Amino acid sequence: MIVNQLIEKAMKKAQSAQAWLGQNESTDVSFENNRLKSAESSQRTGMGIKVILNGKVGSSHTTDVNDVDGVVNRALESAEFGSPAHFEFPGPNEGTNVKIYDEAVLPVTKPEMVQIGEEMLILVKDYNPDIIVSANVGKSIHNGEFANSKGVEFSNESTSFGLGIEGQWIRGTDILWIGHGFGWKKREIDHVKIAKKAIELFKMAEKIAPLKSGNVPVIFTPEGLYVLLLSLNLGFNGKNVFLGSSPLAGRIGEKIADERFSVTDNGLIDYAGGSDKYDGEGVPHQITPLIENGVIKNFLYDLDTAGRAGTKTTGHGVGCNPTNLVIAEGDTSFEEMVKNTKEGIIVRDVMGLGQGNPISGEFSVNVQLGYKIENGEIIGRVKDVMLAGNAYDALNNIMAIGNKAEWVGGSLLAPYMQIASLSVVAK
Amino acid sequence: MIILRERLEDALKKSDAEYTDIRIEDVTNSWLNFRGKELDNIGSSKSLGGIVRALVKGGWGYSTFNDINDLEKRVKDACESARMVGKEETKFASVESIFDEMKATLEKDFREIPLSTKKDTVEEYNKIIIGYNKKIQTTSVGYSDSFRKIWYADSRGTYIEDERPNTFVYTAATAREGSNVQQGFEAISGKNGFQIVEGFHKKAETAARKAVDLLSAPPVTGGKYTVIIDPKLAGVFAHEAFGHLSESDFVYENERMKEIMVLGKRFGSDILNIIDDGSLPDGIGTHKYDDEGAKTKKNYLIKDGILVGRLHSRETAAKMGEQPTGNARSIRYEFPPIVRMTNTYIDKGNSSFEDMIKDIKLGIYVIDSIGGQTSMEMFTFSAAYGYMIRDGKVAELVRDVVLTGNVFDTLMNIDMISDEVIWSPGGPGGCGKGSQSPLPVGLGGPHVRVQNIVVGGRQ
Repeated sequence: MIVNQLIEKAMKKAQSAQAWLGQNESTDVSFENNRLKSAESSQRTGMGIKVILNGKVGSSHTTDVNDVDGVVNRALESAEFGSPAHFEFPGPNEGTNVKIYDEAVLPVTKPEMVQIGEEMLILVKDYNPDIIVSANVGKSIHNGEFANSKGVEFSNESTSFGLGIEGQWIRGTDILWIGHGFGWKKREIDHVKIAKKAIELFKMAEKIAPLKSGNVPVIFTPEGLYVLLLSLNLGFNGKNVFLGSSPLAGRIGEKIADERFSVTDNGLIDYAGGSDKYDGEGVPHQITPLIENGVIKNFLYDLDTAGRAGTKTTGHGVGCNPTNLVIAEGDTSFEEMVKNTKEGIIVRDVMGLGQGNPISGEFSVNVQLGYKIENGEIIGRVKDVMLAGNAYDALNNIMAIGNKAEWVGGSLLAPYMQIASLSVVAK
Repeated sequence: MIILRERLEDALKKSDAEYTDIRIEDVTNSWLNFRGKELDNIGSSKSLGGIVRALVKGGWGYSTFNDINDLEKRVKDACESARMVGKEETKFASVESIFDEMKATLEKDFREIPLSTKKDTVEEYNKIIIGYNKKIQTTSVGYSDSFRKIWYADSRGTYIEDERPNTFVYTAATAREGSNVQQGFEAISGKNGFQIVEGFHKKAETAARKAVDLLSAPPVTGGKYTVIIDPKLAGVFAHEAFGHLSESDFVYENERMKEIMVLGKRFGSDILNIIDDGSLPDGIGTHKYDDEGAKTKKNYLIKDGILVGRLHSRETAAKMGEQPTGNARSIRYEFPPIVRMTNTYIDKGNSSFEDMIKDIKLGIYVIDSIGGQTSMEMFTFSAAYGYMIRDGKVAELVRDVVLTGNVFDTLMNIDMISDEVIWSPGGPGGCGKGSQSPLPVGLGGPHVRVQNIVVGGRQ
């Protein structure tokens, strides 16, 4: 393997080293403005090396898989001024097997992908010919190699498949965008169901419902939950914890959310977007409870951050970011939540997320796709509305959690969740 | 590395499409980042790759690659994809055929500066923030440079070589008191060499001061306000509130959007002028040609409140019967160019800041930008911080100021514009359209006063 050549070359000077190589072939077809617009084939390569030289870390990467000497030399050069290593590369450690390759992906042809897109497009046009539809279907196959100087050595092969549809509906100067899609490492995606979901979202948005400024209960759809999860992603990142910029630092064992709220990072779910046997540092993926019954259990660490913080890696290298997040189901159906709401909103898509101060939990976002509930019924879409609050306060103010978790984008499995009260400002 | 013009031209000869182009890029990059007292990472990379675009009967085929050895195969792949897609008539604007080999001019060439010097320069900024005050919890202070060499050839005889250097430094301070965590940022980017990231000490201190000051600032109270937008945020406002709507790929095959965006329609009062200028000297989004060989230029989008122009690629221009404007841009070789802004600004008016503020009883002076987003009609943009305006005077500092608007009434609500355009210094961020992020875009403007704008927040 080429990674062994990289390691061998680096070890002439370095005390330890880690190398990766990736090759990717992908195919995508794309529909724009109600018609097939483009088809693309893409070939990518990349390799990189990280070295520890005299106790300091250096790294380099390149797209040229023949440039073994160059990439090693640049990594060694950067190590001369690099950051002190607070870790050692791991030795061989047998991880848990997880499915990341589906042989059904490779044989899918471009014309078949076009047909999938066309079928979705026709469904939406049948519902409403005024909607301008875009769609995309894509697949890819990835081959990776990994090795380090402690004897870890493996190669893997993974696939991915994804599709999505987006419609734009213009009435007068009212411009409404609704999209829905899904992708993971498996061919099996029901594109008809994806299109029907988009249609359902359009149907609920046929009328515009007025909303007054004030405090209202808010149901976040699984997609909408990102409004709250962005702060958690930053707050549970071991690097932010170690540096003290996370408001959760030093609070393991503390109750920070409603006791019905539990969230787990799970990098071992078959075919999920963030799944793999090992992380980017050759450490086995694992299942890491983050919040259990409202109580903080663990943070996410990679090798270097764990070394600095005096703890162990959780298999989240490099960067201490989540793999797949799973939020525990509650006992209320979405229909019941709506029925039990006298006046409130449903939030699915927002604009401006992350532009405030998300690490503190604060959010202030425009509700790009949301619905109004009155007397237990969804009466239409809201627009020109800002939603604001604090994610950590909201998690202590949960009214109901849905009884059925749904996949969002291949790496989040979450139920609907209703927060008792959040501030909305309307035009 | 040398790519000969003949290799691209030979490969283009293998095409049986109606139009074909090839773009190859060779990029070298180095970076470093401090988090807190320690260097978090340092390294360098090299990448080489390209894209072939082929157009047959109105359908596009793309082939992107890192292995440039078999360009003929890539051309064949792109043509085959295009033939599968195309079922209509090709419309693609001609531009003057160009032969141009451009060289970047760098005052201080960052490729000749050792990584150790880059590290030492940035470390000084990091130390300033850490030492500013004991409320400073941590930092993120970093540097990055890249040098892109581009070779472009198309089947209508254009051949261009371009060099696009970029350097940036950012200093972010995080201050904390209990669970109250606040941040301050300062950044700069540019294409003229390493010197632009030198001497950033005062700015680093400003970032630290802002973070600490924000600890004692209350969150803004949500509601409708009269706001004065400072020049650094006015560019983001122009970009999100209107710029994206003027990108013709949202319009050219969409009859309803054509009705909404009909030239001659009034979008603002007589004082409003919005311009995109890809030829602006020293602009962050400036290039001589866009990524399909069309010359960049100054394009008025709104003149005296009236829609007078829009941004085009060669395809959108042909389909709308208008002229290419030099706005087809691609962030990297992995992507086909799409219609993008370059340097976008609201032009100066004739009011003074004093005149703008003096009759505001309760409002907000919103300053500096964190970002923005649009869904064409509705948009958001976020200030780094703001000051309440009370009885015509700048009053207390407030945080978490996110504004939202609706293009069809917010632009009409602009009632005063100050008399000097200031360009934002840039930084690591940029525009994120179509997952091609971050594309360097220039953002500029004067002070802009808007009536009745919705600000998010608790009440």
